[in-house]
Amino acid sequence: MRPSPRILLAIAALVLAGPLPAQRAATDHGTITIVLGREPTLPVPLLSYASQDLDVAALLFLPLARIGRALETTREDRFEPGLAQSWTRRDSVTLAFDLDPRAKWHDGKPVTARDVVWTLAQARDSTVAPVTALLLRRITSVTAEGDRRVVFRFSHAYAEQMYDAVFHAPPLPSHLLAELPFSEIPGSAYARAPVGNGPDRWGRVETGRQVELVADPSFFLGEPKLTRVIFLLVRNAEAQINMVLDGTADAFEGFLIARDIRPVMNRPELTIRTFPSLSVGYLLFNHAAPGDGARPHPILGDPNVRRAIAHAIDRPRLLRAVFGPYASRAEGPFGRASWVRRIAPEGPDFDAGKARRLLAESGWRDSDGDGVLDKGGRPLRLSLNYPGTSIPRVALAEPIQGMLRRIGIQLDLVRLDGPVWAQRRGQGQFDIDFSQASLDPTPSGLVQSWSCAGIGGTNVGRICSEAFDDALHRAIEAAGDATEPWRTAIRTLQDQTPAVFLFSPADVVVLHRRYRQVSFRPEARWADLWRWSVDPARRLPRDEPPKP
Amino acid sequence: MLAWLARRLALATVTYAVVTVVLFFLMRATPGDPLQRLDDDRPMPPAERERLEAIFGLDQPPLVQFQRFLGGLVQGDLGTSIEFYPLKVRDVVASRVVPSLLLGTAVLLVNFTLGVWLGVFQARRRGKAVDRWLTRIALTGYAMPSFWLGLMLVALVAVEWRLLPAGGFTSPLLRADASFAERGLDVLRHLILPTLTLSVVTIAVTTRYQRTALIEVLRRDYVQAARARGLREARVVWRHAWRNALFPVLTLFGLWLPILVTGSVFVEEVFAWPGLGGLAATAIGSRDYPVLMATALLASGAVLLGGVLTDLAYVWLDPRTQSA
Repeated sequence: MRPSPRILLAIAALVLAGPLPAQRAATDHGTITIVLGREPTLPVPLLSYASQDLDVAALLFLPLARIGRALETTREDRFEPGLAQSWTRRDSVTLAFDLDPRAKWHDGKPVTARDVVWTLAQARDSTVAPVTALLLRRITSVTAEGDRRVVFRFSHAYAEQMYDAVFHAPPLPSHLLAELPFSEIPGSAYARAPVGNGPDRWGRVETGRQVELVADPSFFLGEPKLTRVIFLLVRNAEAQINMVLDGTADAFEGFLIARDIRPVMNRPELTIRTFPSLSVGYLLFNHAAPGDGARPHPILGDPNVRRAIAHAIDRPRLLRAVFGPYASRAEGPFGRASWVRRIAPEGPDFDAGKARRLLAESGWRDSDGDGVLDKGGRPLRLSLNYPGTSIPRVALAEPIQGMLRRIGIQLDLVRLDGPVWAQRRGQGQFDIDFSQASLDPTPSGLVQSWSCAGIGGTNVGRICSEAFDDALHRAIEAAGDATEPWRTAIRTLQDQTPAVFLFSPADVVVLHRRYRQVSFRPEARWADLWRWSVDPARRLPRDEPPKP
Repeated sequence: MLAWLARRLALATVTYAVVTVVLFFLMRATPGDPLQRLDDDRPMPPAERERLEAIFGLDQPPLVQFQRFLGGLVQGDLGTSIEFYPLKVRDVVASRVVPSLLLGTAVLLVNFTLGVWLGVFQARRRGKAVDRWLTRIALTGYAMPSFWLGLMLVALVAVEWRLLPAGGFTSPLLRADASFAERGLDVLRHLILPTLTLSVVTIAVTTRYQRTALIEVLRRDYVQAARARGLREARVVWRHAWRNALFPVLTLFGLWLPILVTGSVFVEEVFAWPGLGGLAATAIGSRDYPVLMATALLASGAVLLGGVLTDLAYVWLDPRTQSA
């Protein structure tokens, strides 16, 4: 029997159409497009500290070891292997790392101890990398023992040796960079197409538009399932969300306030993932007269006024109204993800009555009945500087003003252009500064902004307390379990009330639901991306590899 | 003619030089910390700040900075961007030129073809219902803020109906080796909404200018005479009247020519269009002096060029204007 032309036509159509969608979808490989607010122009460790550069660098470069998920910077047993497959403690001041022999640079060369030694030499040189040189000042030497072993020696025993050794300076390829003066690397061809050793290799860049990374199938810790990782550059906050809502992008990350999330809730294909951040927002008191660091601040120099302000602010109510569930109370100058947040004593609670009593104790009365307290003819009037570009701070400023008005403090809101705000902050030209900082996982960085040693540098509020400095020094230098020294240091800082620590926003990621094995790291958001895969049943056309 | 052109160009060059000097020192006089964005809210130790200040020459007095800027300008080197460090300013600006030119050209094309045609169409039907309705529609578009209209279009056309992309210049998944046609079609899809937004809010101006000018010309004696000779109305309008009704539209064209390089900040923001307008806004927001200077010079150059081209067009249309 001859098959009818219709049957032949149907068979031909099936053959031409290729495999069925179900067969095509049998893989868990895919792509991801992530919206970024700023352009990663220098995604190389040591050369940039901007968060967008670090986001990309975390996929290109591996550290010797990754800090554990609880971010316990003092517990070397909690670190996870990276380029180093193991490490051994030789004595209280010596750590030896054994490199994974499978680790390779993206140009095929093996990662060697020479790379680690060279990178650390640059990182510890204050003339080429002042930031890391300061952070790594307690490392006295880094030496190679053969091709695969690196030995770190420290000036003395302290709890964060492992953290110092692995966190700040992931190895760079010395075979490509050693001949270049370090200061010329940012402008070099290498910086335009970095060769790393991580799960993804450099793909291409379209300046002002996107950066594309391509999975390295030979990555020694396992083949990444997301074959293309695209960072799409979109500055405008509305446009960022729209790009995810219209299906152009798969993920968007940021510190979002409650109203930004609403449109996402109605999209069944999208999900919201949150994780604690290392960011903290606070009202920083200027301890010195604005513009005159030698004199104490005429109002905020009095600790009672500072404490009264801290008690006058109903933080839980404030955060619920602005962030919804996407922020938590801060108890000190560290984010929710920091390990010291878990041991920190609670800061001052909302107590308007106590706030009024503290002000009365200091002689502030409303003598003219205008609702604003005064003393010696001077009204209790302060200004709050904040950048108009920060959505959370803009949203919080007015409610804070209202809360302080209730206890008789007039707070003038000074909304500033970002660079002007930063300039006034740096010059100490403020009464109260609405600050927000993204910090490293270690609390040791408090030295820079909260101790007497930081005055003239990043301690712009000119806070100086011998008691806190002593407690901080003991905590940083503690060997073994550092929990109690840190708790004491934080309590001492809280007693001084150098600031009202308001919130630690959650990192919120709007994400397409098709991804599996999803996890984030507060210190390097996308570093685990290579472990992700795509649910085969939910693959989209854009997950297909590009057709030649 | 040549002497006139030389005088006009000389005047434009002097203006450009003055603008350059004023812009340079005005920017430095504006308060704000240009290095703010580099520390990304992380504490920046003084030594690091000093290092960065030295890289960008911010540790030098403004006069020395100006000398360096001029030296670089002569060699075509506009320096290194602060916001986009370590990218060169020329690379940052170059990456935005094509999107800006495309959007600007598309908007001007729509405005000065459809807008002019609508103006002529309305002038010929002055006072009739269709004229009144077109005027109302055009003015409604004119009254809309561009960012609002843009957001509405994105919400409906891109997010709700998914007919066109919400933003960007190309699809992020477009292959690097995509063919010219493939890339062109992709860009076109991304170009539609921003062009539509900018055209809707601006076309009323062109239409009104053209309508008013043509109504004025259509009353003149020579037009009546042409009609009396029995010429077809379309020929009277397009061949005899329209040429003389072009002057105000040309002035408008000259004023809008800079849109080719300046773009529209709001529309570029809403549609994530990587143009020069958004770049300039970013540079202002971060005090990226080198990029700001480059975009400002491009914009002022476009304004001056627009003026010269308009004058040339006047002379071409009516040589008597040379002596004016």
